[in-house]
Amino acid sequence: MGVKAKRTHASRQASWRLQVRWTGKTMLVVIIVLVVSGIYLAVNARLARAGRDMLSLEARRSELLRTTSELNAELASRTAPDTMMAKATALGFHPAQGDDVLFLTVDGYVPPSDFVAPRPPADTENGQPMLSPAYTETLGDWLMRWFGQEGDAS
Amino acid sequence: MNPEGVTRRRIRFILLLMAGAVTALVLQLVRVQFGPYAPVFAARAEYGSAIVERVVPARGQIYDRNGALLAANGTMFYIEIEVRQLTDKSKKDIPLTLSKLLVLPLEDLYTQVTTDWPALGQYRIRLTRRDAEGNPWPLTVDKTVAEVINGFLADPLAPDLSGLDLVAAPKRVYPAGTIAGHVLGFVNQEGQGFYGVEGYYDEWLSGKPITVHRPFIPLEARLQPDPPSGVNLVLTLDLAIQQMVETVLKETIESSLAESGQVVVMDPRNGEILAMAAWPVLDPNHYEPWLPDSVEDEEGNPVITPGVAGTYEPGSTFKVLTMAAALDLDRVKPETEFIDNGQIEVGGHIIRNWDGRSWGQQTMVGCLEHSLNVCLAWIASDRLGATDLYAYLNRFGIGQQTGVDLAGEVSGELRTPRDPDWTEPDMGTNSFGQGVSVTPMQLLTAVSAIANHGDMVQPHMVRQVVGPQGAYWPQPTVLGRPISRATADTLTEMLARSLEGETRYAAVDGYRLAGKTGTAQIATEKGYDPKWTVASFVGWGPLPDPRFLVLVRIDKPATAPWGSVIAAPAFQEIAERLVVMMGLPPDTSVAQLALGG
Repeated sequence: MGVKAKRTHASRQASWRLQVRWTGKTMLVVIIVLVVSGIYLAVNARLARAGRDMLSLEARRSELLRTTSELNAELASRTAPDTMMAKATALGFHPAQGDDVLFLTVDGYVPPSDFVAPRPPADTENGQPMLSPAYTETLGDWLMRWFGQEGDAS
Repeated sequence: MNPEGVTRRRIRFILLLMAGAVTALVLQLVRVQFGPYAPVFAARAEYGSAIVERVVPARGQIYDRNGALLAANGTMFYIEIEVRQLTDKSKKDIPLTLSKLLVLPLEDLYTQVTTDWPALGQYRIRLTRRDAEGNPWPLTVDKTVAEVINGFLADPLAPDLSGLDLVAAPKRVYPAGTIAGHVLGFVNQEGQGFYGVEGYYDEWLSGKPITVHRPFIPLEARLQPDPPSGVNLVLTLDLAIQQMVETVLKETIESSLAESGQVVVMDPRNGEILAMAAWPVLDPNHYEPWLPDSVEDEEGNPVITPGVAGTYEPGSTFKVLTMAAALDLDRVKPETEFIDNGQIEVGGHIIRNWDGRSWGQQTMVGCLEHSLNVCLAWIASDRLGATDLYAYLNRFGIGQQTGVDLAGEVSGELRTPRDPDWTEPDMGTNSFGQGVSVTPMQLLTAVSAIANHGDMVQPHMVRQVVGPQGAYWPQPTVLGRPISRATADTLTEMLARSLEGETRYAAVDGYRLAGKTGTAQIATEKGYDPKWTVASFVGWGPLPDPRFLVLVRIDKPATAPWGSVIAAPAFQEIAERLVVMMGLPPDTSVAQLALGG
């Protein structure tokens, strides 16, 4: 009697063994599904959090740009000619007249270079993905890529 | 029937039901994805997943030549009401709070808040305020007030402002206030630039707004593109010189009880405008109240930048152009003599001197020094003739726009023999600046040919354009060479001698300057105004290589009508300060430095 026949015979003899085997197989499948789902859930949760962080950072960036601009304007306002003239006058200074100035030749003097305005920010490319493809790739995409690579390798 | 068979049938029935349900689901899925309503479902999905937003880039900033910020971006907040979120209490509290906070009429705010907007199909409204003429303007608040309102919104014990929302929007800010306001122009609440630099470079400064889809679902979050930014501009203007010139202009206006005035300072070597002042001043941060009272140009537009849009009859400052033409054609020389008997007839029209006197024997230097109308009319009619006179005026750009990069420039008016309404007496009056209208910038550009050894340069206000790719420096442009170098230098020398004589009010110790006064009558619909004049002065220096060219124009001075009394001292004060601010040593120092002293 072969092994297969013996097993059949044993199963027939004890139906609970069959049930245990089926239950074990089912549980294995369930556990695999749960593990995969868990991984999926974890990845998606991280992805969602990263996306939310990114949205917050974008809003924060806009706010900071706005604040920087406002502070620049405030600084310029506080150093506006009228204000500085009033402060200088209060400190006892007066606009220099021709008699107050002595012209000298200074060998090797290099006059300051011309002011160059800061560059405005360059525009970014339209719709550039923010998240790593590792986060956004589906299982199907991954399998396709994996099999594709296998195919290329063979 | 045995129980096992019943169980099997039940199981099959349940399986059948489940299969039916799954089949129905799959069919529905196929219908949604590929059926006739698929686009509708797709659009609904799209609508629910993202907000479509118009992103406006930050407007480019404007700097003076030394890096002082002249125009920047701040934030303002619109006050909006989400009508469906209003409560009975907030309908009362919102108008009351805003009325007290912003000092606005309570009734108007209450009407706006309590109107049945949903019946009109509106669910979100932007509150407005009314100006003196009753026109509604969007109600905006600054950051400080916005912080107070946000504090109320967060405080449960504060007035109920449910339904009120503050919407941030960019606002143009001019940190120097009124300084250079006429040059900069302004930007309205919609972000559109008008007049001056803001108007001329509006397209470059404003960048290009784009539309983006901002997803609600974090999984689909993408890096949102930044719209192409507006460029930053560096002007040729020097803020310190601008402030000094504005101060001198203000003092001159106040001391002469004049109505208005302008001063333009240019570097005649390259056409860079170093300062451009106008009175009354304009604060571009608060331009709305200024507009109704502004003067209008030939086309009925408000004159915001009088240096390029405010025309006037130049009077005697124009004589330098007539003299330049005659010298260039060798029809007169500095020492050419003219007997002035106090009047001359040109085309049947009698022309007299400004004082009605006859000045006897004069050289051409004397004609300029004493500003003799009769002498210049003689040069135009007897030495030049209409063809040559107008050919030269055309070469000097009279009656044409200079092309300066400021919005709102007008061309002035010059009738020539080609025009049907030109008459021969026009030649006589035009020769000394009557019957012709120019802008200060136009006259300055024409005179730059004399100050710059014959080369007439194009005036310009922008020195550097900085975009994301880098900086671009516009090069000076020579508009033409209306007269030779020799003529320009000869005329400059004549005017320097003239300045050392009659118009000594404009002289500066230690420096050789050249210049010409002007006193022009004001043309009205009923002829020339018998009372008021335009007092002006155009001068340059230090000789022999001028670094600045200044035009002073004072409208309707009450204390004295003359350019030599009103405008020349203003030029002197400006020139005295300019030589210090620009680091120009006096002639004695130059000589010492040359000797190694």
